[in-house]
Amino acid sequence: MKRTFNYSLPALALLGLTLGSCQPTLEDTRPAADAGSLNFSSYVAVGNSLTSGYSDGGLYNEAQAASYPAILAQQFAKTAKGPAAFVQPSFSAAKKDGSGYVQLRVVNGTTTPVQPSAANSFLGEQVAYTNNPAFPSELEAYTGSQPDNLGVPGISVLSADKTASASGNATVDAQTRGAAAAYGVLNNFYQRILPAADRGTKDYVTYIGQKTPTFFTCWMGNNDVLTFATNGGVASATNPFSGMTDTTSFGRGYRNILSTISKNGTVAGVAANIPNVTTIPYFNTVTVAAVAASFKAANPASPGVFITTGTAAAPVVRLATSADLLTLTTQGYIAAVVAAGGTAPGSLPTSPLPNNYVLDATEAAAVVARTTQLNAIIAKTARQNKVALADMNTFFTTIAQQGIVTNAVNNTATFASGNLFSLDGVHPTPRGYAVVANEFIRVINSYYGSAVPTVAPNDYRGVLFP
Amino acid sequence: MTVKTLLLAGGTLLVSASAASASGFQVNLGGQKNIGMGGVGVALTLDQAAMFYNPGALAMVRENGVQVGFNAAMARSAYRPESGGGQSNLNNKLVTPFNFYAGFGPKEGKWKIGIGAYTPFGSELHYASNWEGRYSLTDINLRSIFAQVTGSYAITPQLSVGAGLVMLAYGDVDLQKDVPLTAQNGAPTPHVTLNGKAKQSFGYNVGVLFKPSDKLSVGASYRSQVDAKIENGDVRLRDVIYSTGAAFTATNFSATLPLPGTASVGMAVMPTEKLTVSLDANLVFWSAYRTLDFTFSGNNGYAKDFAKPGENTDSRLGSTTTNGVTTYNTSSSAKRYYQDALCFRLGAQYKATDALTVRAGGFFDQAAVKDGYVSPETPDADRIGLSAGVSYEFAKRFGVDASFLFEDFLKRSQSQSDLLNNGTTDRVAGTYKTTIAIPGVGLYVKF
Repeated sequence: MKRTFNYSLPALALLGLTLGSCQPTLEDTRPAADAGSLNFSSYVAVGNSLTSGYSDGGLYNEAQAASYPAILAQQFAKTAKGPAAFVQPSFSAAKKDGSGYVQLRVVNGTTTPVQPSAANSFLGEQVAYTNNPAFPSELEAYTGSQPDNLGVPGISVLSADKTASASGNATVDAQTRGAAAAYGVLNNFYQRILPAADRGTKDYVTYIGQKTPTFFTCWMGNNDVLTFATNGGVASATNPFSGMTDTTSFGRGYRNILSTISKNGTVAGVAANIPNVTTIPYFNTVTVAAVAASFKAANPASPGVFITTGTAAAPVVRLATSADLLTLTTQGYIAAVVAAGGTAPGSLPTSPLPNNYVLDATEAAAVVARTTQLNAIIAKTARQNKVALADMNTFFTTIAQQGIVTNAVNNTATFASGNLFSLDGVHPTPRGYAVVANEFIRVINSYYGSAVPTVAPNDYRGVLFP
Repeated sequence: MTVKTLLLAGGTLLVSASAASASGFQVNLGGQKNIGMGGVGVALTLDQAAMFYNPGALAMVRENGVQVGFNAAMARSAYRPESGGGQSNLNNKLVTPFNFYAGFGPKEGKWKIGIGAYTPFGSELHYASNWEGRYSLTDINLRSIFAQVTGSYAITPQLSVGAGLVMLAYGDVDLQKDVPLTAQNGAPTPHVTLNGKAKQSFGYNVGVLFKPSDKLSVGASYRSQVDAKIENGDVRLRDVIYSTGAAFTATNFSATLPLPGTASVGMAVMPTEKLTVSLDANLVFWSAYRTLDFTFSGNNGYAKDFAKPGENTDSRLGSTTTNGVTTYNTSSSAKRYYQDALCFRLGAQYKATDALTVRAGGFFDQAAVKDGYVSPETPDADRIGLSAGVSYEFAKRFGVDASFLFEDFLKRSQSQSDLLNNGTTDRVAGTYKTTIAIPGVGLYVKF
């Protein structure tokens, strides 16, 4: 019987080794990547700064590489019906930082965002400015073939279509239409991707009509309310695109854009609507309460923050309430005036905060109301062209309220530390763009019955800390 | 031998079990013979390990003896994230739970006393670097060594009772995770390590064994909860990003981890002199583990709020109570909400010859962690265990026990919406699967 033992012990040991090295394998239970009826072989993205990958107040190669169209193209490729190459209008390697971008710096012991400028040597960034005195913001031209990411920072529906403007005022319309046609010499980002011969004549609708997509995304309209809002609800007399676009003009322009890129509803795609801009960190970081508190610290008798509302012709100065939204730039402006020896703007009725730093309650309500009207046009036009609608308004509102948790990381709409919005307070970080891309994918899959895989947002960075 | 010398013996080993070989982070490797029988023992009088399984049974153990057992737990764990990306595995690591007992009493006497040391709780997991859950946990090493003094008395030849004083003689924990902040210029991700030793604390176990005939015995035992209380644990930070330094001022932490009580009943039948078949049921009172709370000596996280562009930082420093001033956390609380877990065990041994005994058994162990609450530190699941063992005795005095236990955790998934619903988004959504193989060997001497 000793033999039994002598045999069983090595057998047990062998069993131990066999089972001990037995690494479990988990099947991927997610549905296999499948394009369904869709063909992503030529994916084209139409839009503004959000589509271009603009982040931290600038367009630069690193952020552009994480634009939501680039992420979508990468995920579309996993269905085996994706684009072989998705072309983005990048800057050359030596000028990879493009228009430059805001960075966090530790200044006097405090972490604060710093804007690149000639005065600070652009924070050491490799910017792409050409130093053309006739067009100081001119950037190095993009010389490749027409890109697939057609996002142009700053563009609105009104400025994209030279036939859109229909305000009812013939003079205004003529001026606005002319500016849309000449947009290629007005906007440095549009100028750099247009061939020289087209600059000043080819409007954006015509430009995107040159593409023959098999699938597209279109996220237009944000700047038809955002430009006005971020300037504190003040339209510039010299810029026809600085107000809120009226619904008639927006409808004409938007229908033109969507029917052009969808080839009258024959190409599949997604149209995204306009998020409520009043929820972004740009309007929710510097609060009336915080500024009032800093005034009170300097002068205990300070009654609060005086702001300028009303119109340029009939300004109204009053104390701000919590319903009035201050722009992210307010604090910097106050600090600069004080540093120059002036009275802190907003601290006295005689030196109120200028109108363009305040989106007052009335203006904010008007912006929200107009956003709702424009979104109704977007939804209807998407239906008419038989394309999916990505309700980014609802999505952004949810994120602003609850944030989004990705693999144990709590991402929120809080400025800087929230990791979703970049240092300009308006545009997402790469992680924010990944979250946006996942929402696009969810909408595409649900509308077209495809199974495009989502991305893990944590693979994309949030804000970079020094 | 005193508790102190026992500790010295244990201290050189500093052992723990990998991926907890019983529900939660419990490790049910109390005696080498019992392991071979699916972990039964409440109604058995196999050897001195009775003082762990049922101190009431010790008086009925015929011989005096000293025994020691070692196990080599090899856990293999896989995780596949819901968010996509491939499978992550554990970095394989061998850990060695042990048990030691010495029991003594007069020959044919009515009483018996004993001392023991064992490792009833522990968990050691090292996840692959860059795994999806790294902001929840990268490494855990939870270790405990219990020491016990036991007395047992046979009231009648059929009925014996016993009790033990149980001491958490040594315990420590090491928890590590990455901080979800990104540094400029590709600097490494910040990493936090919490490391602390538990204060010594006491509990008890009691048991009763009733053996109406040579063919039947029944037993019941109870082991009390012991709290592992850590005070002044170290907070160690690596690669803190300069600008966020003010958010990480904590250097010490305190926390309490309940090591729950267990109630067990068991029955054994001996149809022949050579064969023993036994059935046990254990109920582990895991519901005592509600939340894992850490209190820090300073700030434990990054700022909720940063300076605004161009902000006048002087005024900010001067008005610390106002809205817009940086705030930090100095404590944390994570939901555990464990549930009481039942375990059913069945085991048998057959005395093939005077010297050779063979054993086999199995168990079904319920998860202590509820659905949607699975965290990387305890990837718990319902599990099935199968075991086998042999003993060989030389000259009726010395013996070798060998055992092999294989545990198969049922595959377990949780989705991000489960986590959101439960408020447990501090962990990750996906699927876990674990297997553990535990070969073990023991030596004993009887006199």
